[in-house]
Amino acid sequence: MIDLIQMIVNGVAVGSSYALMGLAMVIIYKTSEVPNFAQGEMALISSFFAMMLLTSFNMSLYLAFFLTFVFAVLLGFFLEFAILRRAKEPNILGMIVITIGIEMIILGFVSWKFGADQKTMPFPIGPYDSFIIGDIFVSKLEVLTLVAALLLMTTLYLFFRYSKLGLAMKATQQNSVAAQIVGVRTNRIMMMTWGISSLVGAVAGLLISPTIMQPFMMWDPMLKGFAAAVMGGMTSLPGVIVAAYMLGIIENLFGGYISIEFKTVVAFVIIVLVLCVKPSGLFARHYIKKV
Amino acid sequence: MKKRLGLVLLISLAFLLSFAPNLCAEVGVTDTEIHLGQWGPQTGPAAAWGNVARGTRDYFKWINDNGGIHGRKIVYHMFDDGYNPAKTKAGVKELQEGTGMFAWACGVGTSPGLAVRDYLAKKNIPWVGPAAGSMHWVDPPQNNLFAVYPLYYGEAKALIKYAIETMGKKRIAIAYLNDEYGKNGLRGALEELKAHGMKAVAQVSMENKDTDLKPHVMKLRQSKADLVLMWTGVGHSARIVGISKAMKFEPQFMSTSTTSDFPFMMHITKGLWEGVITGTLGELPDSGYPLLDKYKEEVFDKYAAKEERWGVFYYAGILFTEPMIEGLKKTGRDLTRENFINAMEQIKGFKGIGPEVNYKPFNKNDMYSRQGASQTFLVQCLAGGKAKKLTDWMSIK
Repeated sequence: MIDLIQMIVNGVAVGSSYALMGLAMVIIYKTSEVPNFAQGEMALISSFFAMMLLTSFNMSLYLAFFLTFVFAVLLGFFLEFAILRRAKEPNILGMIVITIGIEMIILGFVSWKFGADQKTMPFPIGPYDSFIIGDIFVSKLEVLTLVAALLLMTTLYLFFRYSKLGLAMKATQQNSVAAQIVGVRTNRIMMMTWGISSLVGAVAGLLISPTIMQPFMMWDPMLKGFAAAVMGGMTSLPGVIVAAYMLGIIENLFGGYISIEFKTVVAFVIIVLVLCVKPSGLFARHYIKKV
Repeated sequence: MKKRLGLVLLISLAFLLSFAPNLCAEVGVTDTEIHLGQWGPQTGPAAAWGNVARGTRDYFKWINDNGGIHGRKIVYHMFDDGYNPAKTKAGVKELQEGTGMFAWACGVGTSPGLAVRDYLAKKNIPWVGPAAGSMHWVDPPQNNLFAVYPLYYGEAKALIKYAIETMGKKRIAIAYLNDEYGKNGLRGALEELKAHGMKAVAQVSMENKDTDLKPHVMKLRQSKADLVLMWTGVGHSARIVGISKAMKFEPQFMSTSTTSDFPFMMHITKGLWEGVITGTLGELPDSGYPLLDKYKEEVFDKYAAKEERWGVFYYAGILFTEPMIEGLKKTGRDLTRENFINAMEQIKGFKGIGPEVNYKPFNKNDMYSRQGASQTFLVQCLAGGKAKKLTDWMSIK
């Protein structure tokens, strides 16, 4: 019984980083219907930027993180404004390829600039500091990640539901021409979306960095975040959060009771199953364009 | 007319003769140069071992600045394969068939090495000191391949033997990477356990890309192991130790020589690596071993990049190539692959900064005709990343 509870707790813990990456992907998808495969590397470069501020410029953690969030938002603005907006006659496939290109460029840049040696980011909470409740172990860093994921999800949910900008973002996704007609500056909305998404990704990156930092550190969270986003429905913020935690728990139970060897592929089996059985995801309500 | 024809023939002959030395020379060798290739992961999951190639590069620079070898300078060609066998194969073929290498030095990783082993063997291109202790290099032995790194298989046996006979451990679990590197260690460990009438209480495999290792550590914890042997990558090993300590699961940890760079391991585990026992492949950085100190002063201090660190992996790049340099020196000026292989076979009792190296004339039934080093010693990580020597050099045949 203790093992079962521990596996569920582990699943929730690891699900938080999937949730943050999934959220970041969903934000862009909600407005552009483009899965952003550069999401992991955008978080990566923000994390290394923070590391540089902390170690090379000896900044305090709060200042370094604040500047990193500013950097992440500007990075999102820049990528949308300088690259994606310049795409000629863009279609979804073309945009996906562009995001893959951006991913490769950032990965190469980070490897070149910061080196590929494994590092850890200085952080007040150690990666292996934990609470022990009875026989159950919970990492403090993962509790922080969980809190961050839930806070961000709630904030974004309220933002999309009640703020003018959030509604404009929704409108841009549902019908960008109609949104333009009623005065929504869709280009600016897209840029904001990329900025916010990049910020959410940066939070995920910063919370992974105290454990390990190397150029490929965001691959697994990004792929699992993508799996959670697909499972949750790509447009539903609560959906991606629930799916991310489900994914984390399923992975852990599968590893514990069925096969540790095949634990890694569970996420991808889920993507295939969801796409075959319920392509719109488990929780999304897709807006249907009426002609 | 005849005079003219004679002149044309004479010029043609002179033209052809001008190429004669090159036509006869070995690939990758000129009057003044020897071209040697190497791959090494500067990016990707095994980038922590990227300094092996950088150590070799600096060592070759030092040799060149000290007169080269029999009047020839080494021209060193290194490429980043990212620990991706497909990239290793493409890079080796490109350099071999484009520029033309006389021989290959080191090369990090079992899987990347396996991707090119047969290609190099087929062309009988010498390859000395693969930076991995895999059985695949010498079982069966290949005429062109001279291994230096002590076998993982033997190293795992030595660790388990020490755990049982000296430490009195009764419940031993094994965590291993699900590739050839991990399986080599697993095989040695299981055989040694069997020799002592024991079985592993758990065998937990993991993939290179796994980042969430809590389920794996739970399996280890469930086994109630009093010792865990890890045959995994640097990052994985660090996480296993860290998560175990967080879970209050605190067996004795043992690990492979690939994690014996203690200052680095202490850094990435934030001090949790203390107490871990590993095999090692060379003299310790602070051992005061004269040749090692000489390399530190004359190679590292002079040629290494500013951000480079003097550690085991860096000088492993020297250790693995010392026998190659010895072989090149023994070959003399008449440098052909055949002569080089013959000279390598003459190496007996060679001692650089690693274990003693011995080769024999090629014998397809004797892997030790091509496995040069068969010794290791065990060390334990102390506070501050210092190492405590637990054993002397011991044979792991």
